[in-house]
Order: sequence, then structure tokens, then C-alpha cells
Amino acid sequence: MHNLPQTDVIFGMSPVWFAGGLFVVTYLLIITERLNRAIISMMAAALMILSGVLTQQAAVQGVDFNTIGLLTGMMIIVGITRESGVFQYLAIRSAKMVKADPWGILVMLMLVTALLSALLDNVTTVLLIAPITLLITDTLKINPYPYLFAEIFASNIGGTATLIGDPPNIMIGSATGLGYNDFLFNLAPIAIFVLLITVIPIYLIWGRHLSADPQLINKVMGYREKDAIKDWVLLKKSLLVLTLVMLGFIIGHDYGLQPATVAMFGAALLLTLHVLPFSQEKQSQMVTKSLCDVEWITIFFFIGLFILVYGVETTGLLEMLAHRVIELTDGDKMVTAMSILFVSATASAIIDNIPFVATMIPLIKNMAVSFGGTEELLPIWWSLALGSCLGGNGSLVGASANLIVAGFAERSGQPIRFLPFMLMAFPLMMMSVLVSSIYVYFRYF
Amino acid sequence: MKASDAMDPHPVTLKPTDTIECAANYIMDRRFRSLPVVDENNCYMGMFGVNCLLKQVIPKAVFLPHGLENVDFIHESFEDLYQRFADVKDLPISICMNQEIQPIEPDAPLTKTLLQLYQTRASIPIVEPGSCKLLGVVSYWDVGERILAAGKLKNA
Repeated sequence: MHNLPQTDVIFGMSPVWFAGGLFVVTYLLIITERLNRAIISMMAAALMILSGVLTQQAAVQGVDFNTIGLLTGMMIIVGITRESGVFQYLAIRSAKMVKADPWGILVMLMLVTALLSALLDNVTTVLLIAPITLLITDTLKINPYPYLFAEIFASNIGGTATLIGDPPNIMIGSATGLGYNDFLFNLAPIAIFVLLITVIPIYLIWGRHLSADPQLINKVMGYREKDAIKDWVLLKKSLLVLTLVMLGFIIGHDYGLQPATVAMFGAALLLTLHVLPFSQEKQSQMVTKSLCDVEWITIFFFIGLFILVYGVETTGLLEMLAHRVIELTDGDKMVTAMSILFVSATASAIIDNIPFVATMIPLIKNMAVSFGGTEELLPIWWSLALGSCLGGNGSLVGASANLIVAGFAERSGQPIRFLPFMLMAFPLMMMSVLVSSIYVYFRYF
Repeated sequence: MKASDAMDPHPVTLKPTDTIECAANYIMDRRFRSLPVVDENNCYMGMFGVNCLLKQVIPKAVFLPHGLENVDFIHESFEDLYQRFADVKDLPISICMNQEIQPIEPDAPLTKTLLQLYQTRASIPIVEPGSCKLLGVVSYWDVGERILAAGKLKNA
């Protein structure tokens, strides 16, 4: 329990009940999607303060500005880089590398999606790859469904591999102090393996039936990928800054540099390089546009959520729950890690993994004493990261990227329906989690 | 002045069941920018015009929200474009008519009508108040002719 000044009774309830009740109601409202999730979380955060569970000062302490800074910085960098056209270039180049063979294109687009998702965020990646996918499948006159399905999986698997790939990893890294290399060395190997084995069922279900008219294949081969680059100068600037940022993530941790500092510095540097040649008025317009590219809904959702969860944490409720979890697993670290892996995967398939992980982080932190220190929690953190990231593949609502792809599919006249997708995706997701559990078991126990 | 003062009360109309090919030939032959689509009761349903045709021959991925912003890498011939058109030419125009062009009432002020004409860049349908019955259409040409005629009258 935190030593924060707190009201004894709120609306006739103890702070534990009030905070717990508010937390449950917030979760339910987020699931129903009747109201924008940013509004819900901000409202919940405000109620935490208005009710006296938290003071405003305490609420600010609860916000993880490392996560907020990292997300915002990367969104600015990716937003500017996108303008160069480099992502379209990559997608077209990869399709041509396999001579526009339909199955080869699917594999290559999966690889590109996974790679970009590991280095950028999933939503941005699918926003860039899905339109190109639809263009290619439209040209080849083949069903885009297998491609979009594979890209959903690739984006969530790729995002699992790095600290910056998926919001749950950003949150876990920030809360634990685990660095970019820690995520890379512990999660990238299993993410690559999961990606490879995911290709097999996709091939058996769809891949072996994919074919296209040679004339249409020639049309795709006729795309001039170099023409996709709109601004070569911006491309060079963007790649320079992206490289510096990646280096900053890799070596900065040893020098005490937080990922948010690296990302925000990278964003400021790229903005400077981007706008410097222009007049002051044009600079203002360009900076405004770049800041508009930031997904403020996600950022405010995070801020509200951090305050909500911090409020619940200060009441001691999560500490009680942590003890309960340890009782249920008989204090066995392996059983706890496996439980968290499977529960987080299932939960992330059904609800947004961001609030789930935001709740699990303080809960797991409270287990440190029982397991003999924070170092002992490492397998549990990796289990949480694997479960929450891979779990996003379990259903259409499992991750924001899934919904973005489904939106594209719907508008292109090939809708991805909730149930048929889940019937195919949930077993595949469970397969990836099962493989991950074997990995966690042999690597950490 | 009102919208009805600038409208053509006998506009050429299309039926929602007309094929895209048939409608395309019609508007191309007569150089129309857009024509109103009405049902058997003369009820306004939408506008069909050159933009609908262009949309059919440009890759769909461009028109999706957050779709392709840059298509410089696609180099197509007229045969390629026709192939895309051929895929939809036998479909009814109802699948691509523009339903976002809001009809206005005959008593609407002329300036409001002109502003809408400027903003939508397509002829504006005029409908009977309280119903969807098409009374006429205000086009660039109708407005232009009347403005120039007013000038000639003043100078005469």
C-alpha cells in the first residue's frame, strides 16, 4: 500500500470498494465501445481524483511518462517517415522479389509486416501495408482475405519481438526498467519461431490454392517501386534518425537513457531536419501536421488508465489480488508464469490488452517479495508480454491493428467477420501461446 | 432570387437500374458533368457523373479511408483502365451514384444554391418541399447563362 493521503469513506463505501467498482465499470464501458475509450479513461481518472482516492499530485505520479513519451515520439517519427513513401516501396519491392507469385507475396508481406511491427507500432504498420495489399490482390484478382488474415497475425507476432513493437511491451519495459536489448534477446527468438510456424497452417488452408493469371502477375511486376518514394531527401533524413533512435534504444539503456528520452529526441531531431529549409509560416504548418499524426486518443487513453490503475493500486486492492494469485498457484513461480501467459493471452483476445497489462503490472510487482526479489519476476514479465501481445491474435477485437485491417477489408468488399475469424484465429493463437509456454519453461525454469 | 429561378425544370434524368456503360455513353456523348438519378415516381436518389466513372477506373485502394496516398508507381494503359471499367460496366449505376449531394428546396436563396454548387462541383437537384420529387436541376451552365444574360440586359 502506498503512503498517500486518502479519504476513509467515499459515497458510503471504503476506498477499496469504490476504486474496485470504478475500475470494473470502466472496463465494462471500454468493452461495450459505446463511448470513445479515451473519454472513458479520462472520466475514470477524474472520478478517482474527485472522490478523494487520489490527490491531483498523486494522480500525476501515477502516469508513466516514459510510456507516453516513447509512444508520442515514435508516432511523430513514423508520421514524418511515412511521407517519404519508404513503406510502400518496401511492400512493392518485396512483392516483386518473389516475381509477384501470390503465395510468395503473402509470405513477403507477412515478413515485412512483422519487421515493421517490431520497429514501429502495429497500427501504423497495417495502415501502411493493408492498402498496398488490397491494390495487389485487386490487380491479381485474388481474394485478399488470406493476406489480411496473415498480416494481422504478423503484426501482433512482430510487435511481440521488441520493446517498442506493442504497447504492452512498452508498458512492461517502462515499469520494470527492462531495456530494448532485454526484449530483443528474450522475445525476438520466440517471435521469429512463432511467425515461421504460423506460415504452415496459413499455407495449408489458403496458400496452396493461391494462383493468378500470368498477365495480371506481369501488371504487378510493372509497378515501379522507386516511384513510390515521394521525397528522397526526407527518406535519407528519416532513415538517419530512425537508425540513431534504434541505436539509442540499444546502447542508451546502459547509460541510463530511458526509451522516451531517445524517442522524443529523435522526434525533435527529425522535425528539425524536416522543417528547417522552410519559412517560419510553413514550419508551423508542418509541425502542426506532424503533431496531428500523433494518435491522441491512444495517448489520453493511456494517461487516464494509468491514473485509474494507480488509484486502485493505492487502495491495496492489487496487493490483495497478488497474494490471492500466489495462493492459487501455491507460490510456484513456474505455475504462476504459465497461468499469467495463458490468462493474459485469453484476456487479450477478448478485451483490449492495454488496460489488462496496466492492471497486471502493479499486481505482478506485488509478487516480488513472495518470489524473492524483482529479478525472480523476469519469467513472469516475459510471460505477460508474450501472452498479451500474441493474445491479440485471438479475435478481431484483440488488437487495434486487427480492427484497422477489418475496416479495410469491409470497405474493399471482403469483410472479415468476427466469428469466422475467431474460429480460425483463436486456435492458431493458442498454438503460438503453447509454443511460447514451452519456450518459457525450457529457457527460464 | 431563389434556387428555382436558376433551375432547369426539365432535366435529363437516369434510372437507378441503367447500366454504368449505358449511362457513361450518354453523359460522354452529351458532355454532361452529372445527371440526377430518379426512381419510377420521379423521386430523387442521387447524382451520377464523370466522377463516378473516374472512380471505377482508378484502383479501389486509393479511395479507402487511409488508402494509398501515392500512386506514382502504378503505370497503366488505357486498355488497363478499360479492363477495370469492363468489370463494372454491366452493373447498375445505383452502386456508384453520389448520394452525398443534398437536394435543396426551390425557395432556397440563390446565393446558398451557388455556394453548394461551388462546394459540391456537381449540379444541384431541386426537390419538392417535404418530399423527394425532383423539380429540376441547377447546373453551372444554367447559372452561367443567366448571369451573362443579366449583364447583356444591363448593357443593352
